[in-house]
Amino acid sequence: MGAVTYPNAKVAEFVMKSLIPLQVKSDAQPIATDFNVKWTPTLITLDSEGKEHHRTVGFFPPEELIPSLLLGVAKCHFDLEHFAEALAALDKLLGEYSKSDSAPEAIYLRGVSRYKSTHDPKPLKEAYEKLQSEYPSSEWTKRAYPYRLIP
Amino acid sequence: MTTKIEWESSLDRAIARAKAENKQILLDFFNPL
Repeated sequence: MGAVTYPNAKVAEFVMKSLIPLQVKSDAQPIATDFNVKWTPTLITLDSEGKEHHRTVGFFPPEELIPSLLLGVAKCHFDLEHFAEALAALDKLLGEYSKSDSAPEAIYLRGVSRYKSTHDPKPLKEAYEKLQSEYPSSEWTKRAYPYRLIP
Repeated sequence: MTTKIEWESSLDRAIARAKAENKQILLDFFNPL
């Protein structure tokens, strides 16, 4: 990550603008034990209280890291029930990185966020239909499968 | 001028900044070897 992805200009600009970057050695204590880190690179998105909301393990190229971080930001907002902010991050992810590996989960989370903010189940069915159409083999399409039955 | 990531090294400092700047924290555990 330090040799390829973090020096990338677009990645660096996104991280500095959107997040507080914190880097520690994988054997640093007590933080490595507190976060149960067993392999590197481990990237975790925390809210402003230091609570974990999203974790990835392994290398990400620049074009996959930004959407993964956007998903992390969205999950922080979603878990705190800040649905407008979650939807803003997900819309940016799906608008600019629709071909990324993070896109199917973003579609799923977008449907759930829209449902939870409106109590209208239609977005859940729309999420399934979009996943089935664009990512038929994704695990997120399988997770959304029951939503096909929504009238 | 190219932007470079300026990493914090303290969780407490990162949390204080996250609250002040209304942002989330990217915590990267790396292997220095």
